[in-house]
Amino acid sequence: MNRLEQILAYCEKTAFDLHFTDAKKWKAASADRVLVGYLPIYFPREVVHAAHGLAVGIMGSGDRKQIIKGDAYYQSYICHLPRGVIEMGLDDNLQDFDGFVFPAICDCVRNLSGMFRITGNGKFSRYFDYPQNFQKHIGGDFYREEILKILDDVKQVNGVKPDKAALNKSIGLYNANRRLIERIYDIRQEYPWRLSAVETYHIIRAGLAITVEEHNSLLEEVVSIIENNERGEPMDNIRVVVTGSFCEQPPIGLIKSVEMAGCYIVDDDFMLGARWIQGDVDDTTDSPIDALVTAYLNQSTFSSAVYDVGNPKGKRLVELARQRKADGIIFSAASFCDPALLDRPEMQKECDAAGIPHINFQFHENTGQFKVIKEQAGTFSDSIKLWA
Amino acid sequence: MSKPVYTGGIDVGSNFIKLVLVSYSAENPQILDKATEKIRKRDPSIVADEMLQALYKKHNISYDDIAYLASTGEGDLIKRKKGHFYGMTTHAKGGQFLCPGAKTIVDMGALYVRAIKVSEDARVQDYKMTGQCASGSGQFVENISRYLGLSLEEVGDVSLTSDDPEVSSGICAVLAETDVINMVSRGISTPNIIKGIHISIASRIIKLLSSLKAESPIMLTGGMALNKGMIQAIEEQLAETGKKFEIHTHADAIYAGAIGAALWGGFRYFKLSGKKEAVAN
Repeated sequence: MNRLEQILAYCEKTAFDLHFTDAKKWKAASADRVLVGYLPIYFPREVVHAAHGLAVGIMGSGDRKQIIKGDAYYQSYICHLPRGVIEMGLDDNLQDFDGFVFPAICDCVRNLSGMFRITGNGKFSRYFDYPQNFQKHIGGDFYREEILKILDDVKQVNGVKPDKAALNKSIGLYNANRRLIERIYDIRQEYPWRLSAVETYHIIRAGLAITVEEHNSLLEEVVSIIENNERGEPMDNIRVVVTGSFCEQPPIGLIKSVEMAGCYIVDDDFMLGARWIQGDVDDTTDSPIDALVTAYLNQSTFSSAVYDVGNPKGKRLVELARQRKADGIIFSAASFCDPALLDRPEMQKECDAAGIPHINFQFHENTGQFKVIKEQAGTFSDSIKLWA
Repeated sequence: MSKPVYTGGIDVGSNFIKLVLVSYSAENPQILDKATEKIRKRDPSIVADEMLQALYKKHNISYDDIAYLASTGEGDLIKRKKGHFYGMTTHAKGGQFLCPGAKTIVDMGALYVRAIKVSEDARVQDYKMTGQCASGSGQFVENISRYLGLSLEEVGDVSLTSDDPEVSSGICAVLAETDVINMVSRGISTPNIIKGIHISIASRIIKLLSSLKAESPIMLTGGMALNKGMIQAIEEQLAETGKKFEIHTHADAIYAGAIGAALWGGFRYFKLSGKKEAVAN
């Protein structure tokens, strides 16, 4: 097994370890370490890192956990992610976590934060709201307060209040993390056969469950290998951007099916939180929290969870597709995902106006049958290759 | 004389793998070679690789001499190839290659039957296919023939000798198999059982053609397209319903998917290389 294969095997195992073994091992090594679980999409992990903590992405139980108790907490017409997460909370998967953060995405996740309080998971359970007003003195001030509440929560657990230097250092590490992830996407844009979309997914998702230092080191190795070495052979595939899967994650079989059907996924929003801030956050400032606030207000990517009156997400999606030289766009949203499904028609309208072909389908994180999706993606690929 | 351009098509089905080599040395593409192999209980990717290696050896060529090797069907099992085309796209192309002017292609495979309406340039316009149940499939015919002690090659001829066919369930393979067991115990002759199954499948195909609003001529492709009993049953069923369709088949009908893949591969090769206008046939 060569080094890249070793890294890929480790990342696959870590990405889908629903017991978060590595993160718990990390916490056990020192008494003042804090584990904070957060749900999709974005969370400023830097602040937890600076306070001797590890923010761990809880992306759902996927197709790896049977849901029994979770179904009793949610009605049938909502998505699958909260059922899996509550099941994990009721079982022993999330033991040793000190707290949980529920970023504002939709009502289901907001309700989940309340349920975690009722079930008594962790020492704190925080609904983390985001400003939908992007003026610094309104949305900015509000967001600053939200971040400070998290710092207070962590301090209640371990007594650590990070200073300016610690915060700047953490911001620098996550800047490096985002740069490396972006570099992988850039290399894949030119040579998508060198690292499959599934492998990329594993690498990025693993980073949500290990320290940023370790992840950066793995990413550096991956970048160096795929940048300098040929791997696989180019195929006559179309290039697509997959969008709509920013919260509940698609099963790996779905990503694989799209690739097998003749599509190179050159960009996606699977692990959107890890790529949320576009460019670096200032890590040389006297007020690092303000730097994070400014980055959120001015450098956020587009998402169905964010109000976008000044910069419509449909236009930004089209811009992304053009930047990635994509032949088409696949709208792939979780069933009952209101944010993604409500945005879809507007975004499709923009694609039509820009002449970018698109298809759409829905999934559950535990979908097991991909024949129809493969057929859709296959005929989409054929129609572009043969008739466009 | 310029070197010929070769393209390959490999169709990985549920039961058989079909492989064709197409040459573009003449004005029109020619099928240079073809091969078929039953998968049995082997790893399809290994079977496919062995077939490709045998083909390369026979023609003294290598993978690099094939301008475009295209897969179809479960072709993602093929490790090394240039591209992949969806099964309906390739059957439409292959069907029209074998029967120029065909407006409807009926792909009768191991697991399902698909009726595909195609444009003059082999573009899929609409399709209908049988549902999940295997009672309308080649695999079902194979299972029953094995149960009755017949080889697949015999099934068609035996069906033609039927004088009083006994029709089985056309909805569910499990029910149909139970029907067959009952027929055997009731002393129904083998030809009449087989013909009854052919009629049952044919009636499902007629329903597909009706809901598709299929147009004539119709080209049958896939593993069942050479089954004489099946073709006769389709023709009889059409006659009963008063529909006037021209039904065609071809000795290479089982290769339609692989042929289509090789031809679309050629289309892509010429288009991408810009050597000449992409050929439609």
